[in-house]
Amino acid sequence: MNMATLTLPKSGASAASATVLRWFRKVGDSVKKGELLLEAETDAGLIGVESAVEGILRENLAPVGKTMNPGDALAVIDPLGSIGETVPQQLITLEGKSVTKKKAPGGKVIPILMPKAGQSMEEGVIVKWHVSPGAQVTKGTVIFEIETDKATIEIEATDSGRLARIVVPDGGSSVVLKPVAYLAEKDEDVDAYIAEEGDGGAPVEAGVDVPQAVATGLDRDGRTIAPAVTTETGRVKASPAARKFAAERGIDLASIGAGSGPEGRILSTDVPKQAPGRPVGSSSLQTGLPAGVVVNRMSNMRKAIARNLTLSKTTIPHWYLRSCVNAGELMSFYRSQKARIGCSVNDVIVMACARAIMEFPLMHSRVDGESIIQFSGANIGIAVGMDDGLVVPVLMHAEKLTLADLAMETKRLASQARAGKIENMGMGVFTISNLGMYGVEDFVAIVNPPEAAILAVGAVHEAVVVKDGAMRPGQQLNLTLSADHRLIDGTLGAQFMARLKAILENPSQLIS
Amino acid sequence: MNKHYQIAVLGAGPGGYVAALKASQLGASVAIVEKGPLGGTCLNNGCIPSKALLASAELMHHIHHAAEMGIEVPSGANVNWAKIQSRKDKVLQTLRTGIKGLLGARKVTIYTGRGSLAGAGKVTVAEAGETKQLTADKIILAPGSVPSVIPGWPTEASVIGTSDEALHWKTLPQKLLIVGGGVIGCEFACMMQALGVEVTVVEMLPQILPNMDAEMAGTLAGIFAGRGIKILTGTKIEDLSLGAGGATAKLGNGETIACDRVLVATGRRPNTAGAGFETVGLTTDRGFVRVNDRMETGTKDIFCIGDANGRCLLAHAASAQGVTAAENALGHESEFRAPIPNAVYTFPEVSSVGLTVEQARAAGIPVSVGKFPLSYLGKALAANAGEGFVKVVRHRETDQLLGVHMLGHNVTECIAAAGALLHRQATVREVAETVFAHPTISEAVKEAAEDALAMGLHLPPRKVLRLASGVR
Repeated sequence: MNMATLTLPKSGASAASATVLRWFRKVGDSVKKGELLLEAETDAGLIGVESAVEGILRENLAPVGKTMNPGDALAVIDPLGSIGETVPQQLITLEGKSVTKKKAPGGKVIPILMPKAGQSMEEGVIVKWHVSPGAQVTKGTVIFEIETDKATIEIEATDSGRLARIVVPDGGSSVVLKPVAYLAEKDEDVDAYIAEEGDGGAPVEAGVDVPQAVATGLDRDGRTIAPAVTTETGRVKASPAARKFAAERGIDLASIGAGSGPEGRILSTDVPKQAPGRPVGSSSLQTGLPAGVVVNRMSNMRKAIARNLTLSKTTIPHWYLRSCVNAGELMSFYRSQKARIGCSVNDVIVMACARAIMEFPLMHSRVDGESIIQFSGANIGIAVGMDDGLVVPVLMHAEKLTLADLAMETKRLASQARAGKIENMGMGVFTISNLGMYGVEDFVAIVNPPEAAILAVGAVHEAVVVKDGAMRPGQQLNLTLSADHRLIDGTLGAQFMARLKAILENPSQLIS
Repeated sequence: MNKHYQIAVLGAGPGGYVAALKASQLGASVAIVEKGPLGGTCLNNGCIPSKALLASAELMHHIHHAAEMGIEVPSGANVNWAKIQSRKDKVLQTLRTGIKGLLGARKVTIYTGRGSLAGAGKVTVAEAGETKQLTADKIILAPGSVPSVIPGWPTEASVIGTSDEALHWKTLPQKLLIVGGGVIGCEFACMMQALGVEVTVVEMLPQILPNMDAEMAGTLAGIFAGRGIKILTGTKIEDLSLGAGGATAKLGNGETIACDRVLVATGRRPNTAGAGFETVGLTTDRGFVRVNDRMETGTKDIFCIGDANGRCLLAHAASAQGVTAAENALGHESEFRAPIPNAVYTFPEVSSVGLTVEQARAAGIPVSVGKFPLSYLGKALAANAGEGFVKVVRHRETDQLLGVHMLGHNVTECIAAAGALLHRQATVREVAETVFAHPTISEAVKEAAEDALAMGLHLPPRKVLRLASGVR
């Protein structure tokens, strides 16, 4: 079947250029010969271009606003697709794109390309390879992860074979549709293939499948965000004012999603007041920096932290309560238990929190929109600091664990987290952040969304304890609860803290 | 002991006095120096007196056309030029008092006399042989401009004058020769014709209102011609000589024109000579003081606004620049970027903002043009004012609004909206989607915007040349 390419006719004697004003037919529509396809503007006036061919409009090569000269391609028409017959849409996109059938000197080589995930994507960064050179990959398994300016995406192999060579390693970036690796039985075949391809610019092969989630993007709760509306030329539709604000505030228009204007056009009111995780005006930070500074790209973990905590601080009405615990009893209890089962002070505090949490239903609940979700157990997040950020694995049903089990499970979760596996993420109702080991006496934490409270634990330190009117040396522990006031009111927070303090000042009840 | 101010403004025209008010509003101590009456050219020899005279002339024009509206005016409607002049003077006096009141209310010190620079931060004010000195941290120059005169021509004040004189003529001429068909020339031609003067306009360039939309200028020229104003474009005056009771002009086309009064309206030149600029190392370029978007001159702490910087010789541009200069002088970041509308107060009026079709095409921009005649507009016909049209210039590729040009009744009141849309970089589709009140003259802006998208409803369908596509 021969596709017909329609071209811009000459209007009158002049060979003046014409700008497309509007199309009357969309891709997929059937068109009859003589039917008006589009209107275009010339300096001499309007012209209407009729289709010279009957068929199905397969490709629109002249988007609205494009200026063209006579003879330039306007559209591709499939003359065989007669009216009424449905032809699969992919017909064109698949055509002539298979590299595997390409004659290569030597054995079969399949390049794996950086996928183009979304119209605005020009370049992707490989976050991580899941397979090493030499390994066999099977179609459908995740072979690497990429990071675009919008999302991190797992990429699956669409062919099976031996991964002969990775040309873009972890952290490397590549423009879209360029090879990042090759599948081949022998490494020499790859050399021969690359030599033949020159710059490696292989014809487009669907070497990888982009999961559907990519095209739409997922927000942090896994809900899909509508993609920003782009014109056929790939430009995001936005009002000039919105463009100006976005530029001033350092915000990528494509990251905003569909706007509230006509046809999803982004209006100035859709542009956030400040870029996520950035102070206003920081877009100009990279200009005028003194010599010697180093600008690094944020890691994915940093981006996630920035996103989550900005969301927390800007959407959760935080309020704070501070309690000072007389830690004498706590420390002697800890010492006795450490000798017995090898627990830490923090384990005792976690256990005390679990007990206290279960006494107040709203303390093991969280807010979701206009709903309050009550959890059946005290699922406590344990903040684990790492070199490049922090993660919060969750200890499930802490209230059911003995101190020994709790200590062991916490240790396991932390070491798993440091190895990159964060267990039970998002299942928590409460987080404990302990900076006592660094000598910090007192701090205030940010609620870890979607949870409703976080306890900041300071160091047990020597202090003058006043009891019954007499001063004597003793030990103290400062606890600061940050709570979501949408859920936890003053009385509840105070009752919880009083209960927690009571448990910690008489910890033997934890094992009775 | 010299008085010291944070800001000294030289010149109290619409640029200078606004700069002084702004600086004072921002908390500065301000002095303003003016040798003439407050208000500068705009209030004393420009915008306001001409509008006052034009209002009288327009009323006379309406009286001449009253019968069309069913109003029968008994014969004997006479022009009393002296009364027209005294009414105008009253308007000017009221507005001058207003400016004085505004400056006083903001505690701006007014120095009367000719101000000139006398070294960094120093200003000398000379009046009637006496001089005063004052010093200032920052100086805003707003000396304005004066009408150009033609070198070598006679200077007999009873016969030949510029707008400075013509606005205050004691008598009306009988036959007036206007040299120059720009804004001033056209406004005077329109005014004088309505008051019964025989008017000839000679313009050297191919159109009246040069730099404005050519079609608009041509249409206005046609309307003027219909009223009996003789317009000669593309014509040079070779020689002007005084004779008995007036002057005789020899034109480039061989014609001679006899008249009893000549108005020279060939433009304005900056009023920057002899103001001590050399004492601070400030240079001029053909008399203009070049400035950046912040209104900063090449000399530290000296700003220049209004006609004297040559950017745009219009009162409202000067005022906007005055605010910019005052803000920058006091450490507030400000740039002068907004599009400046033009307004011509002939009847019908002319207004425009942004690029003309000719300017856009010359800049290589692919444009489409939308046009709506006022003769299709309910409000215009109801007001017996169907002359004119609105033209919208659109970027064919981006749909951005590039310019709006209007000729018609009250269109100077409609241009502000177009300027705001242009400043906000609206698309023509957005203009077309905006709801305008009906019936109004400004509706024509929406209609022209729709036409620029070939989607107008109140116009016959646009002609579309249908062509079969090529096939490959």
